[in-house]
Amino acid sequence: MSMNEHESVQRLLALSAAGVLDTQEQLRVNRHTHECDICRRELETWSTYAHALHQLPQPAVPVQLLQRTEARFLREQAAVAGRRHDERILIALALFAWIVSLADWLLLRGLMGGVLLVMDMNVLDLPIWSLASTVLVWASAGAAAIVLAKRQRELRRVL
Amino acid sequence: MATILVAAMTSNACSEMTEMIAQIRRGDPDALASLIARYQHRLYRYLVRLARDPATAEDLFQQTWLRVYEKIGQFDVARNFEVWLFSVAHNLAVDYFRGRRDTESLDARMESGSTRGEYIASAGPDALAQLLDSERAAMLAACISELPPIHREVLTLRFEENMKLEEIAEVARIPLSTVKSRLSRALEGLRAAMESRFLGRSEL
Repeated sequence: MSMNEHESVQRLLALSAAGVLDTQEQLRVNRHTHECDICRRELETWSTYAHALHQLPQPAVPVQLLQRTEARFLREQAAVAGRRHDERILIALALFAWIVSLADWLLLRGLMGGVLLVMDMNVLDLPIWSLASTVLVWASAGAAAIVLAKRQRELRRVL
Repeated sequence: MATILVAAMTSNACSEMTEMIAQIRRGDPDALASLIARYQHRLYRYLVRLARDPATAEDLFQQTWLRVYEKIGQFDVARNFEVWLFSVAHNLAVDYFRGRRDTESLDARMESGSTRGEYIASAGPDALAQLLDSERAAMLAACISELPPIHREVLTLRFEENMKLEEIAEVARIPLSTVKSRLSRALEGLRAAMESRFLGRSEL
């Protein structure tokens, strides 16, 4: 029995007791512990630990853990559905705003003959009208998002 | 005959699990509730061993199921669901430990007035009495809770979940060789902690 083998096997004893050695390693441990009293006793100690670890006292699952998990799941689902609903509303509002803006442009062009001067600028020119409309649409969408977020916060507080 | 019976039971369990997963993917809340009920003891135990605090364990438990529901579409049914479930929980626990300083001591009193070690040790039937008396069992549980989270994790996955090294590697996303060395260090750490406790007591 070489000293190197003794030290090498000693390092495997804990893992042997844990049952995770491969076949070759386990055979080495078996062979060595058959001859070496120190390692046999050491393996017995590790086996006691392994056995105790398999039988640790179990933490009790809190009462109604399942029910609380389901309730949280439903709350999260409602929140996700609420966010999707709000997103759809925002998209619909933006589209509606663009359509109204386009309809206004067409109507005013028809009524004013294509010219409506404000501070020496023809606001019925497509680029200017588009720019003004974009600013208005984004401002409205921003305001709507703030209102919806506030409503969400209040809803969460109630829940 | 027994082998055939076990194989048939395993096959039934697999098809039952596949069906349950399919139902969850279709948005069936009852199937999710059944799955939670099936794994609640094991998952909660894993998380309470890791987090040490029952409230945190419960929060992580709930987050795990929310994440499972969210990601179930990506789960490959050919894989082991349990390993996947524990890897989801592991990732959330990692985020939790990353987000806080682990300064809580084992002896910190919880709301109930007991310590974390006592909490873990006190619950459940006293199966350990066959081997150790209840005081020593409490000491072992307390010593485990003093170990670093990565060591607590590998111990609970190996000895309580009975996972193979390959499965532990998949849950913790570490190489097999790391699992082995981590398990070895965890056992040595536990033994050192136990021996120092016994030594401390005998000196008193």
